[in-house]
Amino acid sequence: MDFCALGAANALVGNRLDAAGLEWALGAGSIKFAQDAVFSLGGATARATLSGKVAAPCTTIYAKSGDELAIEQINGGRFLYIAFRGGVDVPMVLGSRSTYLPGRFGGYRGRSLKSGDSLPLGPESTNSPTDGFHCAPDLLPPYGPGIVHVTRGTHADLFDEAAWRTLTEGEYRVTGASDRTGYKLEGPALANKAGSLPSEAGCPGSIQIPGDGYPIALMADAPTVGGYPKIAVVAAADLPILAQRSPGETIRFELITIEQSQRALKRRVSDLNTISQLAASSSR
Amino acid sequence: MQLLQSIHAAARSLAAARIPHVDDIVPAYLALTVFYDGLQISYGEIAKTLLDECDRPVRGGGESTESRQHLIPVRYDGMDLQAVAAATGIAIADVIARHTSRIYTVDLLGFVPGFAYLSELDPSLQLPRRPEPRPRVPAGSVAIAAAQTGVYPLDTPGGWHIIGRTDTVMFDPARDPPALFRAGDTVRFERVT
Repeated sequence: MDFCALGAANALVGNRLDAAGLEWALGAGSIKFAQDAVFSLGGATARATLSGKVAAPCTTIYAKSGDELAIEQINGGRFLYIAFRGGVDVPMVLGSRSTYLPGRFGGYRGRSLKSGDSLPLGPESTNSPTDGFHCAPDLLPPYGPGIVHVTRGTHADLFDEAAWRTLTEGEYRVTGASDRTGYKLEGPALANKAGSLPSEAGCPGSIQIPGDGYPIALMADAPTVGGYPKIAVVAAADLPILAQRSPGETIRFELITIEQSQRALKRRVSDLNTISQLAASSSR
Repeated sequence: MQLLQSIHAAARSLAAARIPHVDDIVPAYLALTVFYDGLQISYGEIAKTLLDECDRPVRGGGESTESRQHLIPVRYDGMDLQAVAAATGIAIADVIARHTSRIYTVDLLGFVPGFAYLSELDPSLQLPRRPEPRPRVPAGSVAIAAAQTGVYPLDTPGGWHIIGRTDTVMFDPARDPPALFRAGDTVRFERVT
């Protein structure tokens, strides 16, 4: 859901930005290390301890075999990421190690993790970042203000100027009807004069307007096609900001061009690469 | 129908052109969606390349022969078969006969991996979707709704009328390609017991 948080956590343990890590939502739990390992926490914040000592976010942490990482309730944001040096070693399915829960494939046996599961780590590359290396928050997306940039969607022209003003001037609240498939938003309704259209492809970030006029932002596990008109698309660079909003929290949309959106994405990736370089140079 | 065919033809010629940084090409009823790597190429550049490729005369031969024919064995014992017969006023045996008598075209793949929207269902069998979708329709269910028919590839929620089931695996992540059907393919159903 938040490629920046996973990417930063991976950078802090010397992995490729897209190595497989754990996405952790909701409840408390713990992980026992069966071998010495290097890990880091990114994204949502939670009180976390490693064998009783505080495990700081966005920090390279060395764990010994037998150590236990305990994570209490998430207290800020929504999805916490745990990266392990070497990455979680699960098979590649359709070019990805992630879990597709609706299809029950990918990741670890196509399902959510349960107590007692044992996850293998992949081979480590040469240099590990040094224990305690910390990443500057200015290299991460600005989660705080909740500004989510959008570009015009494929059906932008089916909405009049008033609808566009409503979308970009109103405040929208993430509702409880939100998960990895999509976030249903609450706020000023948009007049949908188009109704339902013949199905066509969509992508994570598409903001569709169903008959009730309240936007649904499609997220990571979104259906691949849909028939609701898509007024806008969340800039890929800002999808993490939306993803980390919990039910009840608000966002505002700001319209940008596709060119601006592409530049913003490049900046995010370049910031993640900077974390990788800083982490790598800490090891010398 | 003609528009859909031109969209499928354009999708095939774009795929054949193997344009760099293009990840996926998805034809649909009124749209052709191209997924590309925005870190490697700008929107302006890829849009120009794609439009130029579409303007090119269709590459000689082959495209239309790429569509394949499938025969799907179905046990017609679906939980809605009786209700469909009642709602349409057509005897169960005739519902089955009308469903198996047509050759359907794969209009679109999507919704969940491997789900194919197949047209055109016999007009006498066309019913609106169920008012409330079922929370779980088992994989392999053969179903109809409005002018379409299809097979659920996974256990998913679904609002179509289930008339039968098949053992044919519609989607297998370990297969290449994982989806059995491709847009433009044709499909026939055959009754088995």
